[in-house]
Amino acid sequence: MASCLEIRVICEGCNQNVATVHLTEIVKQTKKEVHLCEACAEERGVTKKAPFSISDLLGGLAEPQPAEKEEAAAPTQDCPRCGLSYADFRAHGRLGCPEDYRVFGKLLLPLLEKIHGNTQHLGRVPKRAGERVLREKELMQLREELRRAIDREEYEHAAELRDRIYRLKEPSGGNS
Amino acid sequence: MEIAELQRQAGEWLSGQGPESDIVMSSRVRLARNLGGRPFLTRATDEVKTEIERTSREALLSAALAEGLLYINVMDATPIERLFLVERHLISKEHANASGQRGVALGKKERISIMVNEEDHLRLQVLCSGYQLREAWVEMATLDDKVESRLDYAFSSQFGYLTACPTNVGTGMRVSVMLHLPALVMTRQIDKVFHAVSKINLAVRGLYGEGTNSSGDFFQISNQVTLGRAEEDLIRQIEDVVPQIIKYERNVRESLFKDNPKGLEDRVWRAYGMLRFARTITSNETMELLSQVRLGVNMKIIEDLDINTVNELFILAQPAHLQMCKGKKLDSPERDVARATFIRNWLE
Repeated sequence: MASCLEIRVICEGCNQNVATVHLTEIVKQTKKEVHLCEACAEERGVTKKAPFSISDLLGGLAEPQPAEKEEAAAPTQDCPRCGLSYADFRAHGRLGCPEDYRVFGKLLLPLLEKIHGNTQHLGRVPKRAGERVLREKELMQLREELRRAIDREEYEHAAELRDRIYRLKEPSGGNS
Repeated sequence: MEIAELQRQAGEWLSGQGPESDIVMSSRVRLARNLGGRPFLTRATDEVKTEIERTSREALLSAALAEGLLYINVMDATPIERLFLVERHLISKEHANASGQRGVALGKKERISIMVNEEDHLRLQVLCSGYQLREAWVEMATLDDKVESRLDYAFSSQFGYLTACPTNVGTGMRVSVMLHLPALVMTRQIDKVFHAVSKINLAVRGLYGEGTNSSGDFFQISNQVTLGRAEEDLIRQIEDVVPQIIKYERNVRESLFKDNPKGLEDRVWRAYGMLRFARTITSNETMELLSQVRLGVNMKIIEDLDINTVNELFILAQPAHLQMCKGKKLDSPERDVARATFIRNWLE
């Protein structure tokens, strides 16, 4: 059914093939649409044929969009832990250490979104990390409650909360 | 090194005992895990690899993972022994051909195996006979807990289990089923399956996983997404399509038989005859003929042959297995003769 409704546009370059590349050019405030077949588009340098590999795919996908390019240019330092540069990652498609996910986090997000359609883990959590995550959550809640208690000048309650926070921080050696 | 011991047995996944095993050869769950505070293997020096291997090996051997857990040092193994492990689906080709300290731990029945220092520090695998993804996952969750009780995994609350390649991050889980689809191949309908499966973001691969051709009409279907969906959800994704493919293959088998019973019988018996009497046979021809025989046994055309006898031959007739059996290196023509002899004896 869909094919009956499809409008076929003939290439403006060779006037023969069906156009598959559609461009919108803006020249002197005037919008102009150009329709080309793949061969003509390539000839005019609009598209480029290239061999296709995983690292190309990764590289291409991880390329920051124009809007984020400037912002992303600054934080692209090498990983202080393993020495990997973002260019290395793009060339080989493999990260160098767990820390890279933090160092290159911003640049990885669009790539992860493309691969997985998601950027937030769901599912199993290691038991040890799980305890830490839960503790951090509880600490955040208690701190918020403490702030409110102080605002309301409920000092007795605040002292109680402070002690609970103190106890909760204890098992990890004061690491919050 | 006790690789030689493995030669006298076949993995439990070849028993043909699991549900739907006329079509589903095996179900597999694998998890990618890395130790915290260490580089991934692409950035690891030989010293670091050695330390990771030692730490992991000691943890795995002390964690009571399975009865009679065996640890094989892959670096010290001979090329034939490494290929032997690949043929048994216990390690990957990449693991066999890598460099530096690395190994594999495996349970007695070869149901569980853990590669150390493959692309990630640890690759845990549970491999079951037939269609048993849920069972495999339950076993895997226990295995993962036991390993984690001894080792600190690299984990982030946003990205989950951190892996060398971003295509594995999150759950680190790859779920796959190996399907035997000779009727769909015979009637050239297999492309329809590929098309449908790839549309919903699942991958189709050959007998030995990534980058391998299908051989013996076996196809592996697995998930591609690993981040942002919980493990049960990933299993469900596979479960949504597998029963339909099973049904499709069964229907085509039935109509093949109904349309031309003598034609199908002839095809199956000829394949069996060739295997029983050939004097020299290549690996590829063996896989093709075995596929027809497997179809014949499952359709009760051949009744005096157990399915596990056929399943095991798919593995035992491979090059490294034959050379381990002979106890020496064989060139290709010698292997073809050894293979024909082995198959004749096996089917007698």
